[in-house]
Amino acid sequence: MLSQWTRHLNHALWLTTVSNAALVHREEFHEDLVLRPLPDGRVSSKFTFTTLLRDATPRNPESLAVEDDSQHYTLFPLALGQVLREYAITEMHLTLNAGKWNYDRWGYPDEPGVGSGAELWAWMGDGGPATVDYRWQGLRNALAGLFCASLGSLDELRTTSPTLAFEPEGTLPNWTQPHQLRHASLPSEHVCTENLTPFLKLLPCKSLSGVASLLNPHRLFDADWHGMGVHVSYDREDGVKVRLTFQTVFDPVRTSLNNRRDWSFASLFDRKVEQLCPVAETSRVRLALPEVQSYLLAPEYTIQDNYALFDMAASSQAFQVSMDWPQEPKFQYRTSSNYDDASIVPLSVQRTLRGSSQARGELSVTVTNHEAVEIQSVYLETMPWLLQFYLHTLRISHNGESRGDLISNISYVPPVPHARPTTLQCIITIPPKSTIKLTIDVSKSFLRYTEHPPDAQRGWDLPPAVFVPFKTDHNRTLLGTTRYQRIYTPTLLADLATPDFSMPYNVIILSCTLITLIFGSLFNILTRKFVVVNMDPPREVAETQ
Amino acid sequence: MDKIKAKLRALVTPKPDATASRIRRRRAITAKIYAKLPWITTTLFAVGYAWMLCIPFSELENRIYIDENALQPGQVNTQWEWSDVHHADMYLRQLEILRDSNATSEQRADFLANEFNKLGIASSTQSYTFSTSSSTAAGTNAYAVLSSPRTSGNEAIVISASWLSRIDESSTSDPETINIRGVATVLALAKFLRGYSLWAKDLVFVISDGHLDGMHAWLSAYHGVSQSNMDADYLKLSSGVIWTALNIDYPGHSFSHLGVFFEGLNGRLPNQDLLNSLRVIANRAGVPVVTYDHISPPELPSSLPSFLRDNRDVKLYAENARSVLRHVGYEARGSGSGVHGLLHQFRIDAITIFAIPAAGPHGFHAIGRVIESTLRTANNLLERLHASFFFYIMTSSDTFLKIGAFLPSAVLVSVAMMFVGLGEWVRAGWVRGPDRVAEKAGSEVEWLKRRRPLMKPLGIVLGTHVFGAGVFGALNAFADHHSLLTPVVFLVSALPITLSFLNSAPKPPTNEIAQLSTLLKSLNLCLASTIISVTSVLNFSLALTLAILLGLPLSLASPSTSAAVKTAKYACYLALAFGWLLMDTEVKSALWNWEVLGVWVAPFVCVVYAPLVLQAGLVTIL
Repeated sequence: MLSQWTRHLNHALWLTTVSNAALVHREEFHEDLVLRPLPDGRVSSKFTFTTLLRDATPRNPESLAVEDDSQHYTLFPLALGQVLREYAITEMHLTLNAGKWNYDRWGYPDEPGVGSGAELWAWMGDGGPATVDYRWQGLRNALAGLFCASLGSLDELRTTSPTLAFEPEGTLPNWTQPHQLRHASLPSEHVCTENLTPFLKLLPCKSLSGVASLLNPHRLFDADWHGMGVHVSYDREDGVKVRLTFQTVFDPVRTSLNNRRDWSFASLFDRKVEQLCPVAETSRVRLALPEVQSYLLAPEYTIQDNYALFDMAASSQAFQVSMDWPQEPKFQYRTSSNYDDASIVPLSVQRTLRGSSQARGELSVTVTNHEAVEIQSVYLETMPWLLQFYLHTLRISHNGESRGDLISNISYVPPVPHARPTTLQCIITIPPKSTIKLTIDVSKSFLRYTEHPPDAQRGWDLPPAVFVPFKTDHNRTLLGTTRYQRIYTPTLLADLATPDFSMPYNVIILSCTLITLIFGSLFNILTRKFVVVNMDPPREVAETQ
Repeated sequence: MDKIKAKLRALVTPKPDATASRIRRRRAITAKIYAKLPWITTTLFAVGYAWMLCIPFSELENRIYIDENALQPGQVNTQWEWSDVHHADMYLRQLEILRDSNATSEQRADFLANEFNKLGIASSTQSYTFSTSSSTAAGTNAYAVLSSPRTSGNEAIVISASWLSRIDESSTSDPETINIRGVATVLALAKFLRGYSLWAKDLVFVISDGHLDGMHAWLSAYHGVSQSNMDADYLKLSSGVIWTALNIDYPGHSFSHLGVFFEGLNGRLPNQDLLNSLRVIANRAGVPVVTYDHISPPELPSSLPSFLRDNRDVKLYAENARSVLRHVGYEARGSGSGVHGLLHQFRIDAITIFAIPAAGPHGFHAIGRVIESTLRTANNLLERLHASFFFYIMTSSDTFLKIGAFLPSAVLVSVAMMFVGLGEWVRAGWVRGPDRVAEKAGSEVEWLKRRRPLMKPLGIVLGTHVFGAGVFGALNAFADHHSLLTPVVFLVSALPITLSFLNSAPKPPTNEIAQLSTLLKSLNLCLASTIISVTSVLNFSLALTLAILLGLPLSLASPSTSAAVKTAKYACYLALAFGWLLMDTEVKSALWNWEVLGVWVAPFVCVVYAPLVLQAGLVTIL
């Protein structure tokens, strides 16, 4: 009944779209929800809302000089479309995440961009009247306004171009000039409701119907991990695709009274799907089936590729999925060695900034290969100039002995103080079933007093490092072009030398005293005239005169 | 007109003898100061020492207050309930079984790590070994990192408990009291805290083995500090920068008061806001807080007349004095007052909450609520604690002394010593010439300049410090034969006096060359004064102790002719310099602190303090 009505309306919309103008492209909207019970009792959910602009092409920057065609969309988010046309963006990825993705326990995320804080990267065609950097600046400012996030701070101090780790997701059009990558991340960005509201506004059904109605901010922002993403890509066959994603990791064990991992839409989102989104071409709810068979799933489902597929249209009431583990009185966590051995991901990475000094430290990265084959991986650091690497101290050791041969293809863009970040890209080789340790000495910069943030005593958040592992055979040639996903390390906090801004009075007194002492004595010596003084008693002097 | 011009010119052009008269005036002032120098130094000494006695007066102290507005202590409803107390009791029972079965460190750590793991908190263990010249200490720590929801894990709060309690700190035998309820509290807290999503910082639970050694090994590994005599495992789990740490020490069955211990290694102190927050929170929870374990007022000597003993001010003075002395005792030794002291060197504000054993009325319920609320307060911080005081002396849990109230005492003594030293320098350089009889009465005394050869006294100074370094090296090398070492040190340091008797013709003072003893005394005092001033901002308590021990003895050193007086004086200085060698346990603990924890008081006493006193001793026999 519900579905019939939906299809009917969809058809009507499609007709109006076509009848409008020949320039207007066919639009499609798909929504998808993937649920995944995780080994540690948590549940990850990923909402994907895809809007496809069939046979459309991104704007060529060469055409920026002439006025753009007027844009008429029915489903495609106009606010975003305008930004993309204005700055001629071919491909763009914006993620706003909160939390630390635990690869060792949760495995790979469904959406690879899980670095803490904000991350924005875009592929843009070169040429035309406006430079790439000018358009990049425009893009981040426009997105900052659109998503209420401080993306404006992703300035040239944080912008890099690491092409090895951030390859385009779609295809790049064949224009005369090559495409360029701009990437920046802001780990200290907090994600909250003010970012979700504009995100929901981009959806054709908002959060009123369809799977989007599950996006309840009260629950989403209480999740252990949550992140939203806006992905725009171009594909020659399909056209321009906008993918809006929202990913969460809930912990039903934490919220349940007796430590059970049962969950349902009502317990996770405090909502059910009351009605379908009428304009959605497809609305899928899928659940990744765990290996253990002792669960109960409701409602009815069909199995496809180890996923349970639910038909939302089939239910006459409000739709919700629930999963129960009736044989488990209480959820039992795995023992810690189990987590170490289980190779959910090929690599696990630990990255720490050592040393308690505010002047220097040591960046230490430990990479463990869980697989029985050698793994090569791209290792990328995009560090603000606050932390400067001493590249000659880069050491890589395996089982306690130094192994310089495990690192290759180093490309390094040194930082420019107050202007440009460091980019360190290299390929590291991790022998099978072993751990390598990579250390590099760093020096921490001394900032101008105006460069300190208002919460100066907090320290500086440093962006995550990125690993992109790829499998090789013994001859170290690439096995095909398929790579693993990107792995983001946790972010870091660096303590730089900070004046005590809360007590300016003390600082002024101390510096004034020092300056007076130094200046006073120097001035005295410089201006003093040295003369010979006759120290005979004045009376005698008078007598001789 | 011309007259006016001439007058103006006279005003503008300096008089020919103006410079001369200025120099003369300056000379007169210096002469006057020099003449009054004994008075000045005596006054400075008197004021300095009197100030030291005044430190415990309640007129100097301030009431505590919360400076950092973000802390908001005690503003939350605590959720710690009796069911959590039940969990703590269950953990306690398991720990008691473990204790009674004489489980090894590893078994204990494995059990603890497993318990954390059952809660879904990533946990691991770390084995370590310290080898010092006299002993080795080994153990296994258990720790767990609770990655808080929604946070990037950049900041962390540590909740720790050492396996051994601090309660045996003053007893001479090896500490054996187990901090069993402290460990149970940490486990139950982990279970409880995991259920909330409001934590903005990672929570790191550490159950360190031993008393201090375990935590030191864990911290060193966490911060990537290596130490030649330490062999500690790499930490598998890591978190962010640790901002605050609470160490829980709850050895008894129940408690009446919570004691706060806060002194860190080498004179470091945590930010006072942390102590104040705990005090405010515990007050709200109805748990009394005291500094250290001072529950009852100190007993005044019965020889004191009763009207003094019953006087409120005298009682208050005695109470404050006890706290100040305890503080100075911890700080001057540099060893800190517990496990929390190890964290300060990494810029972590840490305190120990000590549940003072008593028959009642408080237990797990009270300590759980206080810690929960304190953690919530620490969780509120957006920046490190930086607003409140870092230099203070707590006279009681709600009163403290600001730096301005105590620092001048030691500095005044140090200034007095500098004046005496400079006076000696002048005395060495000038000698009174024969009075000019021909001139009229009241004429100026003629001063003759004499040479001040510095090589010899400098050599002596250097020699004594090298000797001190030698003593320190010997102490480290022959730690086991300590009883043999002491007489050797005394014998070697007594050598100069025997030499002085063999070569018993002291050179008469001449008008050409300054006396060696005067030069040595001058150098000695200037050096000692500088050291006290510098130390006073690094470790005030140590500077205070130095000012008391060095101030008058060094200033009063003077050569004497009689052999008996000379010997007696030298013996006194020798006792002052190396008397501490007889305090066996003190020496042992100081050396252990140096070798394992890096407390620099032991080398400082050997290389700086003892040689300074020895130099004063040499002044008497030269």
